[in-house]
Parts: sequence; structure tokens; C-alpha cells
Amino acid sequence: MATTLSAQDNETLKQIWQPPAGILSFFTAVNHRTVGLRYIITGLTFFILAGIAALLMRLQLMFPENTFMNAELYNQFFTMHGTTMMFLFAVPIMEGVGIYLVPLMIGTRDMAFPRLNAFGYYVFLISGIVLWVSLLFGSAPDGGWFAYTPLTGPRYSPGIGTDFYATLLTFLELAALVAAVELAVTILKLRAPGMSFNRLPIFVWAILVMSFMIMFAMPSLITASAQLALDRTMGTQFFNPTNGGDPLLWQHLFWFFGHPEVYIIFVPALGIVSTVLPTFVGRPIVGYFYLVLSLVAIGIVSFGLWVHHMFTTGLPILGLSFFTIASMMIAIPSGIQIFSSLATIRLGKPVFKTPLLYVLGFIIIFVIGGITGVMVAAVPLDTQVHDTYFVVAHFHYVLIGGAVFPLFAGLYYWFPKFTGKMLNERLGPIGFWLTFIGFNVTFFTMHFTGFAGMPRRVYTYLPDLGWDMLNLISTLGSFVLAAGIGVFFIDLIFGLWRGKPAGDNPWGASTLEWATTSPPQPYNFASIPIVHSRDPLWDANGELETYAVEPYLGRRETIGTSVLDARPEQRVELPKPTITPFILALATAFTFISLMVNIVLVPIGGILIALSVVAWHWTDIEDHKAKEVKQEPEGALPSSAIISSKGRHPTFWWGILFLILIEAVVFASLIVSYFYLRAGAEEWPPELVGRPDLLLPTINTVILLLSSIPIYLADHGIQRGNQRRLKMGIVGSFILGAMFVVIKFIEYGNVNYAYGWTRTAYTSIVWMIILYHTVHVITLLIKTCVVGIWAFQERFDSERNAALQVNGLYWHFVVLIWLPLYATIYLSPYVLGSGS
Amino acid sequence: MQTTQFLTPMPLPLQINPPYSLDPRGPGAAHIADLWWIMFFLGTAIFLLVAGLMFFGLFGRQDQSAPNEQQGLRWIMLGGIVMPAIVLLVVFGITIRSAVLNANEVGTGEITVEVVGHRWWWEVHYPEHSVVTANEIHLPVGVPVEFILRSNDVIHSFWVPQLGGKMDLIPGRQNTLILQADEAGIYRGECAEFCGLQHARMHFMVIAHTTEEFEQWIESQQAVAVQPQGELARRGEQVFISAGCVYCHTIDGLDDGAVDRSDSDLGPNLTHLASRTTIAAGTLENNRGNLSGWIANPHGIKPGVLMPATLLPGEDLQALVTYLETLQ
Repeated sequence: MATTLSAQDNETLKQIWQPPAGILSFFTAVNHRTVGLRYIITGLTFFILAGIAALLMRLQLMFPENTFMNAELYNQFFTMHGTTMMFLFAVPIMEGVGIYLVPLMIGTRDMAFPRLNAFGYYVFLISGIVLWVSLLFGSAPDGGWFAYTPLTGPRYSPGIGTDFYATLLTFLELAALVAAVELAVTILKLRAPGMSFNRLPIFVWAILVMSFMIMFAMPSLITASAQLALDRTMGTQFFNPTNGGDPLLWQHLFWFFGHPEVYIIFVPALGIVSTVLPTFVGRPIVGYFYLVLSLVAIGIVSFGLWVHHMFTTGLPILGLSFFTIASMMIAIPSGIQIFSSLATIRLGKPVFKTPLLYVLGFIIIFVIGGITGVMVAAVPLDTQVHDTYFVVAHFHYVLIGGAVFPLFAGLYYWFPKFTGKMLNERLGPIGFWLTFIGFNVTFFTMHFTGFAGMPRRVYTYLPDLGWDMLNLISTLGSFVLAAGIGVFFIDLIFGLWRGKPAGDNPWGASTLEWATTSPPQPYNFASIPIVHSRDPLWDANGELETYAVEPYLGRRETIGTSVLDARPEQRVELPKPTITPFILALATAFTFISLMVNIVLVPIGGILIALSVVAWHWTDIEDHKAKEVKQEPEGALPSSAIISSKGRHPTFWWGILFLILIEAVVFASLIVSYFYLRAGAEEWPPELVGRPDLLLPTINTVILLLSSIPIYLADHGIQRGNQRRLKMGIVGSFILGAMFVVIKFIEYGNVNYAYGWTRTAYTSIVWMIILYHTVHVITLLIKTCVVGIWAFQERFDSERNAALQVNGLYWHFVVLIWLPLYATIYLSPYVLGSGS
Repeated sequence: MQTTQFLTPMPLPLQINPPYSLDPRGPGAAHIADLWWIMFFLGTAIFLLVAGLMFFGLFGRQDQSAPNEQQGLRWIMLGGIVMPAIVLLVVFGITIRSAVLNANEVGTGEITVEVVGHRWWWEVHYPEHSVVTANEIHLPVGVPVEFILRSNDVIHSFWVPQLGGKMDLIPGRQNTLILQADEAGIYRGECAEFCGLQHARMHFMVIAHTTEEFEQWIESQQAVAVQPQGELARRGEQVFISAGCVYCHTIDGLDDGAVDRSDSDLGPNLTHLASRTTIAAGTLENNRGNLSGWIANPHGIKPGVLMPATLLPGEDLQALVTYLETLQ
């Protein structure tokens, strides 16, 4: 097998990967480095905007009874500051760094789904812009980034501001989820040959953990923000206590997302620290195995802490103790991270470059934030400091110390790779020290302000309460901090303009992104590197073994490897530049904004989305026709390994698997919502609605279950090349699925449901679950139609049937998930009795 | 405009303790302060250890022997696992101890006070004494008081830093909190959960008396308003009804005839307004100037407050304020 490409093949490669040119190229680029850089630049822009909002708030709080800003504006500013920092800066920029670096670090050419990647970016960009434009018009959300109901409900926030929050957040989460899914699939399937999991760079581990955390956490927020949006626009009653709703349901769903969110930001930052540090102390990180284990532990434990945001809501004290222990426990994996860094510093020889300074700043600041974190996990102390400036101090130590400092370290570290230019080593330390000192002056002071009794989120305060001087100091400190960040940005811009050229590996680092040019070629690696150790560039003595993927098929490709041990097993086709992701993002944005403005426009949006999806797949279908298997040159990876699926699932299959995971969490949060509301209700279902009829739904459930059988037989049939069984199976399943939908609509005509979903929280949740599931079945039927048409054209055979596998997988999921839903809605009122 | 002089509220000249939670005046806050100081010293020790190890690593002399991975792993084991595990056990222990000590000391409440959160003021009931007031809570010293916390609209949080931790007021739910003041004095309270536009100006006062003073206060609050003396005050009483104040504010004993008072709990009960130290939920000192300014233009002081501005001729305003001042 060839290990490097011929000169002619190299030329072909360059042509194939030629990035789009011209004005339109902004909307057609799909390359991971382009998209990753856009995420980073856009994220930094929002960071600056939210930072300016913070400075303006500090000006307002500089003196007691200050009139610089009124309450209305102040509330919008702190809402936008928090929302932007969390959703438009921290998460997207970490994903952006991941999107840029992961393919380089694992030695591949692009993400698994480059178009989806571009789509996610446009979604992020559009929702960010719309949110900030709302601030320009003075109608930004003003209920805090946590948006507690009922304050944010239709009654107490009648304006459009909170609609922006509820609707755009739901929309924006699409971007986060899309990025998480493809990062995970990329890491699982596209690693360089030989890069087994025990050789995976720590940063890639961190991104993998982050991706799974996003998949588990965000659906809970999506459920909550969708319920809030429905309460506000449709008049449902999820959070209205006078009609059976419960404001605490919001808090549970929000913090079940919101606490892991902090670690979603923190985990990749830890990955950056453990990547940057070894380079500047000249030795591998100490305790790789412990680090990986503790990253995974942080990911898991962070889902058990959400109630520590609710210590003052009057929950039973015994339950709270559990969350105290869980919250304190996370100090152990965090401690492992810190002590691994300390040991690495001790055993290495530090070189004081700017990235190292930011890592050291991270250690100091984050440890303080971690210590106050253990303090606030103690219920009694938390009841004093909760919602005061002490907590403001605590989480800025955790977030700025734990995420922004590592991020800056990373940006300094990878800037030469991003741009091919070095940054100035004079400005760097000045920026660092200003940032470090300004940060501590601003936020250390706030610990005292909290103990002095100042609550959060107040636009002004009375004089002579002992708060005047503390606030003045914080405001002055915040301007020093801003100056430091200003120097950082000047350094970046100056470096871009005047930086000295950087070689491939200016720091002498060990990971694969430094094995290629700075900035990398569009295809990253001409030949895919082969990995034999954890630090390939340090261990290879300059000569990396490579694996050639001959471009004889004339299209963008990379190599797919097995999940566990990264053995090469398939050619993975990657798409050309296309505008369809942008169009789909526009159509989706239109639909979401219609929800807010006028519900009548939503079906139009639905049609636009459908058309965009067709356009998206149209090129695939065209390609499919041209995809006649070519005879490969001697010794090359055969083209039949394209999407051949005998026992090896294509990347697409993995993507759908993770989609199913996300969907399952959404359904789980809906079921949890049902039982949570039930637990708080006196009568469930309310007497005027009555218990649901059982007969029709039970028959219908049996029909749906049966529908899984023909599709299974169809899949099974085509594996053996049986076209007839394939066609019959698809038709059979389609008919059963359609029957299910028809019977559902007959059932809704039933008097029991005539009350509509605005009547009580019970009808709201039942309708939401049923409608959401029915939408899935209908989507499934449409998908099956398309696959059915292909089946009748006999496009599938025993080798090429990935689309069928994927369709079957999703079909079984939609059928199986109905069982818990059926048990919840129809059986539980009979089994559990009515009410608590 | 005549009202501009009221736009900037005057500071409260009253002798009120700063709401410093580490200067406790009740067992609740005292136990928490103790807990804090233990944690503070533990935390400082750990921070110094980590910072020390970092500087030692950066600038300390390297071992002559080749740096070995085993030594590093020992650091991770001891510093990253064993030490935090021990410290966390200790911290968890003292946390539980603190909660138990507090529960033992205050036990159950001997007096009940119901507090209902409104945007942006506090309704206060003494159900055992049939007393209703607002934004001001009187307590006897040394007696545990059970607060029953509810909300009329959105989530608020009830917090008196010098007496103890906070507790949320959640619509559709009822929470309880037991506090005790060990010393007579005036303690500041705040709303600690963001509750909308005027969250910043939702203060209240807790006034701790000796038991006798407290009983006197209860007695004085139980009286209903009497027919005001003097012509100006009587005219003010009429203004109170005719200008619409009566639709939102209750004055027990006021003969307001056939007025529809179904919304009369929208604003604070004013039966004993003149006995309170502050108005506008702890924002302004309760004096004639502030009161007139508040009535004429509440939005100058708390923009967005639900109370509408009442445009009254100067004389009527004077009369109204004179009447309100009689409500001892």
C-alpha cells in the first residue's frame, strides 16, 4: 500500500480541495477551519459586546443612586451580558476551537458533516445578531439569563423582549447540538490510523466529553424554553401556578442544563491547559490516565448538582444534603486536574511565554473559584450568599479563571497555526498582567460586597450601607481588566498585520496539528499520518509515517477508521462547498421568528425548510447517479469501501444515533415534566378533563409496534440482496405508520381532548407530548417515502444500503419511545390514581 | 415641575445596622458566620498550598536525578484525591453540624408572621394577633419567629442578612423560615431574587424590641383608624376616597361607603402608616416631604412601580398627607 502521494496526485488533491472564491464564498464555505475560525471570531465579537455591557453596568454601580442607566436598561444589560457570555461566547467559542483543531489533532481532513457544521454556524450567527438587534431597539429580554418563571411568563413580561429569549434560545441550541454531534462522530470515526483512545490528545478527549455533555444537557433547556415560548405565545399553562403549572419546573429543567453548562465550558478549557502546559515545560503531561478519567468523571457528576442552584427554594433538607455531597465531590476530579498541572510544572522546565502565563493565571484564579465553590455547596452558607455579590465573585472566578484564561492561553498558543504568524512576546505579558490584576481587583472585592449584604441584579443601591467603596473599587478594577483584554486584542490584530512568519511547529509541540503547514492546506494533510504514540511529533523524530488516500475518485475524501482501535476501514466522502446550509439556516430562522411574530407564518417556514432539505440532498442524489464504482489503482484503498456497511456503520449512522440520543433526552424531560406537574397537583388529571380513554390508544399502540416488523424484514432482506422483501417491507411499515397517524387524529376529535392545551397544565403537557411524537411519526413517514422511492428504483443492494439502515434505526426509535409515552399519558392515571 | 425635587430620594438618616451578614445578631446568622470562618481558614490553607507548589515547581531547584513520573503521580494521588477527600469530609461534617445546631437552637417558632411578596413590597400579617402591616416586621428579642412565606405574583426572596439565611417566596407554594433576633435594633432586609423592574428597591426593616415593647406595638397596631381630628385631616380622608387611593389601599376603620374594594390588597395596608419608619418598601424615610413626593410622582423614585401618580391640587395633597400622618 502506498504511503505517500505522487506529484500528480498532489496536484489533483489541491484542485479538489480548492476553497470557493468570490463574494458568495462566505455563504458556501464548509471547510472546518473556515467554520471554526468564524465561530472563534464571532464568539470573540460577542465577548467584546457583552464585556462592554458589563462595563456600562459597572459605571451605573460606581456610585449609590447613580442615574447613568435606568432600571429598564440595566435589567436588559445584565440579561444580555449573561445570555451572551454563556450562549453566544463561551459555548460557541469552545466548540469553534474544537471544530478548528479536532480534525487537525486527529489527523483528518475535515469534520464528519461539514455542511451541518456550516449550518450550525449560520444558526449561531443569526440568533446572536437578532438578540443584539433587539437590544438596539430597547426590547431585549430583561428577565435574566436564567429567566425564572413566572416573572418571564406572559403575565409579568408582556413585551416581546422575553419572546426573543425563549424563541431564539431554542433556535440557538440547534447550533450547539449540531456541533456536538459532529464533533463526537468526527472523533469516533475519523481518527488517524493508529490513534486508539489511549493515544487521543487530552484536548480531543475534553471535546468528546463536552460533546456528550451538550447532548445530554441541552435537550432539557430546549424542552424548558419551548414550554416557556408556548406559555407566552400559545397560552399553555406549564409555569402558571393558578392553572396547575409550577414555576419550579422551570428551575429544575433550566438548572439540569444550566449546571452542566458551566462544565461544558470548563472541560474544553481543561483540555487546552493540559495541551499548552506540556509544550512550555517540555515534557508530557503527568497522569494522562487520571486526567482522562477525571474529565469523564466531571462530565458525569456535573449532572448531579443542579439543585445547588435551588437551595433557597424550600426543598426538603435531606434531599439538599445529597446535592451538597455531589457538589463537593466534583472538587476531586478538579483537584486531579490541578495537581496534574502542578506535577507537570514541577517535573518540567518552564519557558515563560505568554501562553504559559495564562495557564498559571488559570491555576491561581480557578483554585480560588473552586474553593468558594465548595463553600457555596454547603446549604447554610449558601442561604446567606446565594443571589449576592459573593456568588457573582465565585462564578466569575470559575468562568473567567476556568475558561477565559485557558482560552486566551489557547489563542496565543494556536495563533501561529491559525494565521502562520507569531504574536509579539512584549505585548502578551502586559496584557496578561493587566487582565490578571484588573480581574482580581474587580471580583475579589465582590466577595466582601456579598457579605456586606448586597443582592445581585440590582440597578442601584442606597448610600451608607457599607457598599459604596466596594463598588467603586470593583468599577475601577473592571476598567483595568478591560484594558488588559484590550491589549490582548491589539496584540492579535497587530500580529495578524505584522507578525513574523511562524514555521510548522514554532513551539516544538507534540500533537499532530503541528505536523502540517501554518496555516494548513485546505486538505490539512496530503497523506494521513499514522500514529504510534501519544506524542507523535516528539516520538517520531521528524519523520511521520503516513497513509495515502489516492484521489482517483476526484472528490473530497478522508479515511474512516474503526471506533475503538482506529484501524482504517472506509473511504469517507466529504461534500463540496455549497450554499444549501445557509439557505436551510435562513428557512429555520424564518420559522422560529414566525413563532414569535405571527403563528400563521409558521407553515410557510415549514415549507421553506422542507424545500431547503430537498435542495440539500439534491446534489447528493445527482452525485449518487455518478457514483459508479471505479476500479482503483493498484494497491489503493478500494472505492467499494465508500459506504459499504457490512458490519461497519457509516458516519451518517453514528450521526443519527446521536440525534436519537438527543431526542430521547427531550422525551425524557417531557415525561419528567408530566410527573413533576402531577406531583404538585391536587387532582390529576383534573376532574373536568377526566381520565383518558384506553381502547383506541391501545389499539393504536399495537399498530405502531407492529410497524417495526416490516421495516426490520426489509433491512434484513436487502442485506441479502432481496429487492422484493425490501419493497414490501417499506410499503408495509408505511401503511401501518400512516394508520397510526390517522387514528391519532380521530382520537383527538374525542371529547376528552376538546379542552385544548391552554386549559390546565395537565392538558398542556399531554398535548405537547402527543403532538411532539406525532410530528416525529409524520417526519418518519416522509423520510420513508423518499427511501421507498429509491428502493423502487432499486438503488440499494447488499453492499450499499446505509440510507435504509439509518431509516430503520430511526423508525425503531420512534416506535419504542412511544411505549413510555403511552404508559405515561394513558396508563399512569389508572395505575397511580388521580392526584397526590 | 414641582415634583422634580423628589426625584432623588433622600438617604435614610435612621440608625440602621448595615446588613453585614458576618456581623450576626441572631443564632441563624451566627452559626453561618462560624461555618464561614472555619471554611475560610481551610480554604486559605489550601490556596496557599497550591500556590506554593506552583511557585516551587516554577522556581524551585530541580532534582538532580532525572524527573520521574512516579513522583508526579504521587502528587496527583495525595493532592488531587486524598487531600480533597479528607477536606470535603470535614467540610461536610461541619456543614451538617451547623445546620443541626441552628435547628436545635431556634427549634420551632413561638410567633407566626406571614409575609406575602408583591411587586415590589412586602405584605406582613400577624395571624395570631390580627395585625396587618407592610415592609416592616416587628419582633420580640430572643424569641424564635416562624415566617410563612408566600408570593402574590412572581418569585421573591426574603433575606435579613444579620439574622439568617434567605428563603424564596414562590407563587403557588408556601415556605417557612425561622429567625430569631438576639439584640434589639433595626435590621435591613432585602429581596434577594430578581423580581422585575424595581427589584433593587424592595427593602424592608426588621425591628427587634423587648417583649414589652413588642406587645405595646401589637396593641397599637390592633386599633383601627379613628375619625381624624381637624378640618384639613378630614378633608384628606375624603381625598383618600375620592382620588382613588382606597381602591388599592386598605385603612381599617375608614368609612368608605359603597366603594368596590375587591382589589384593596394591591397596595400596602395603610391603617398605621404613620407608625412606620420608611415608605416605598424601605426606600425613603417616612416624612411629610417624602410622602408628598411619593404620592405625586412615585415613578420618579421607583420607575415602573405599579402605583400610579396621583395628580392632586396642592391643597388636596397637603390635606391627604396630613390625614395619612394621623394614621399612627
